[in-house]
Amino acid sequence: MGSKSATIGGVAFAATGAAIVLAAHWMVAFWVPTEASMGLVQRIFYVHVPAAWTTFLAFGLAALASAAYLWLEDERADAAAVAAAEGGLVFGAIMLVSGPLWGRIAWGTYWTWEPRLTLTLLLWFTYLGYFLLRNSVRDVRRGRRLAAVVAVVGALNIPLIHVSVSWFRSLHPEAVVLNPEGPTLHPDMLVTLLTSLGGFTILFLGLLWLRYSAEMAGRPSDAEPAEQTPA
Amino acid sequence: MLRWAWLIAVKDLRIEFRARGRFLAMIAFVLLAGFLFAVSLDRTRVDARDVAGPLVWLVMLFASTAGAGRAFDAEDEAGAFRHLLLAPAPRPAIFLGKAAANAALVAAVAAAAFAAFALFLGIRAPGALASHAGVLLPGVIGLAATGTFFGRISAHSSLGDTLLPVLTFPLLVPMMFFGSTGTARLLMERPWSEVAGFVRLLWAFAVGSMAAGSLLFRHVVDD
Amino acid sequence: MRLEGRGLSCAYGPTDALQDVNLVVGEGVLAVFGPNGAGKSTLLRLLAGERRPDRGSVLLDGVPVSAHDAGWRRRIGLVGHRSGLYGKLTVSENLKFFASLDGAAESGRVAAALAAVGASALASRRAEALSRGERQRAALARALVHDPEVLFLDEPFTGLDAAAASALEEVLSERGRRGRIIVLVTHDVVRGKALANRVAVLSRGRKVLDCEAAAAGVRRIVDLMGAPRPQSPGSLGEAGRRSAGAADGSQSARP
Repeated sequence: MGSKSATIGGVAFAATGAAIVLAAHWMVAFWVPTEASMGLVQRIFYVHVPAAWTTFLAFGLAALASAAYLWLEDERADAAAVAAAEGGLVFGAIMLVSGPLWGRIAWGTYWTWEPRLTLTLLLWFTYLGYFLLRNSVRDVRRGRRLAAVVAVVGALNIPLIHVSVSWFRSLHPEAVVLNPEGPTLHPDMLVTLLTSLGGFTILFLGLLWLRYSAEMAGRPSDAEPAEQTPA
Repeated sequence: MLRWAWLIAVKDLRIEFRARGRFLAMIAFVLLAGFLFAVSLDRTRVDARDVAGPLVWLVMLFASTAGAGRAFDAEDEAGAFRHLLLAPAPRPAIFLGKAAANAALVAAVAAAAFAAFALFLGIRAPGALASHAGVLLPGVIGLAATGTFFGRISAHSSLGDTLLPVLTFPLLVPMMFFGSTGTARLLMERPWSEVAGFVRLLWAFAVGSMAAGSLLFRHVVDD
Repeated sequence: MRLEGRGLSCAYGPTDALQDVNLVVGEGVLAVFGPNGAGKSTLLRLLAGERRPDRGSVLLDGVPVSAHDAGWRRRIGLVGHRSGLYGKLTVSENLKFFASLDGAAESGRVAAALAAVGASALASRRAEALSRGERQRAALARALVHDPEVLFLDEPFTGLDAAAASALEEVLSERGRRGRIIVLVTHDVVRGKALANRVAVLSRGRKVLDCEAAAAGVRRIVDLMGAPRPQSPGSLGEAGRRSAGAADGSQSARP
């Protein structure tokens, strides 16, 4: 795959995603009906849920790619893992900021031991460590490998985090979780949500593509010199 | 496999015994932390038993994290770890040996933490010492395993010990929750049946972290 | 026995520490010379299998080896820049520990290894209390304790006094005669060449000379080591041509 065509593809993807996200924002601001019980603040939901979905998609991809890198020691797996992890950090930040803003109104508190929120926070810190580690190891190849180990171990811990958070919550029954995907979602809301969801996903995939090809282009590749100088 | 792990653990403990610095510093830290908590808490308003559980676990966490950052100092001091890796010992055995030696230290730290809180906060744990040990032990193993594993990882980073808690704390959140809740309940003289579920999960974490550490250690040490 | 590096390349960061080095080590002593930063230690790490090369492979009698394989680790010994001894343990405790990892814990072996390098008197002293030269001898004894088939030495003469250095020379040439493989990395050209059956010179991560020890003069080796490429391309080019003519499997300096 030529890096130029990859860049064009990535830009096209990201631009499409960005356009859809913008359109979704317009829908959120001007089109979708206001939810009755929560009012305006409910509109954060159209940003929060897609951001959360994208975050999990990104961290999931990063963990899978990291495991693949440890297994196959293939540069491309590492490049994919970094690209995905970066996306996860960005979208995770959006989720972690928008979630509490909404929660302040919906739940009456900025922070609650809601399992997905807690899991995202811990994963977010894990991937913060991933980048801190990666960039602070002098031997580049070792840095990549150690970072991949961190990503894999972080993923292994998810079931335990899940159990602990749900147990913790059960001790604090006052933290009532409102189910935002309740059966009473207005069709217009659903359309807005799905638009935003699609936009975020495409935007993320575009950025992933871009970052991946930039990552690969920036590396003194293992394979290329051999191919370039067959004589 | 176990023979190698045993040789390495014995070697580590012998060095630890001769150096003593790290061990004594960890114990001193724990005792001082217990003292500081006792001074800082307004015990006319807070019942020490309500907060002692989490505090014991936090002190254990901090002490073992500080100690874990140093677990490979003796290996790196004159480059001995390179030769340990060049010896025919399998990587899981090296991890298990070092984690076992670390666990012995963390166990001493846990005992000291417990004693410090009993002493300075005036908590009596009547006849329930075995139960407390039963909750603390899997925690000790889990802390030792994660500390050893990530201690080696952060040793390669120029950020060193600063990075260690960033890597381990997110992983240790479930263990800290199960452990401190378990200990807190025992301090309130609740029956064992109320903590048995937590202890099972603590063991799941302890065994899981030992197994994952053993299996992944080669990716940490082999270039 | 024949240890072979094929197309070895290795990078720690953006620049290559070693570029496409081919090397065949037969029985006896191979001395690898080079200025600081030439890639000597990296070459040793790759040959010992401690680090997987980015490209290329290491083979013993045609079979790929790696330090990830315990069988290979049992057959090699290494003396590095640093002593690699635990400071809080005595010399004999250090040796016993490493020997027992190798499954070679018979007590006689430790004593014999210490005696072979003239370090018997150090047995009960803690490694942290040894002088540089004493540590070096203890490290050598540790590398020999399991009687390895392949021995890697990185600047082993550093810090040794004259008596210890000649004892080391004796050990190495005796092992060479017994058909063991010894790879000796050093910048002490006179001493290294005197010991070696074969010599190689690295410069900036590339091999610029590889020939029988008798075929290369000390003067020429020193020239190759000292010649910074951009300043005096003539001398290096000439040496490269000569080296290419002198030995098979060698590779001239870069064009």
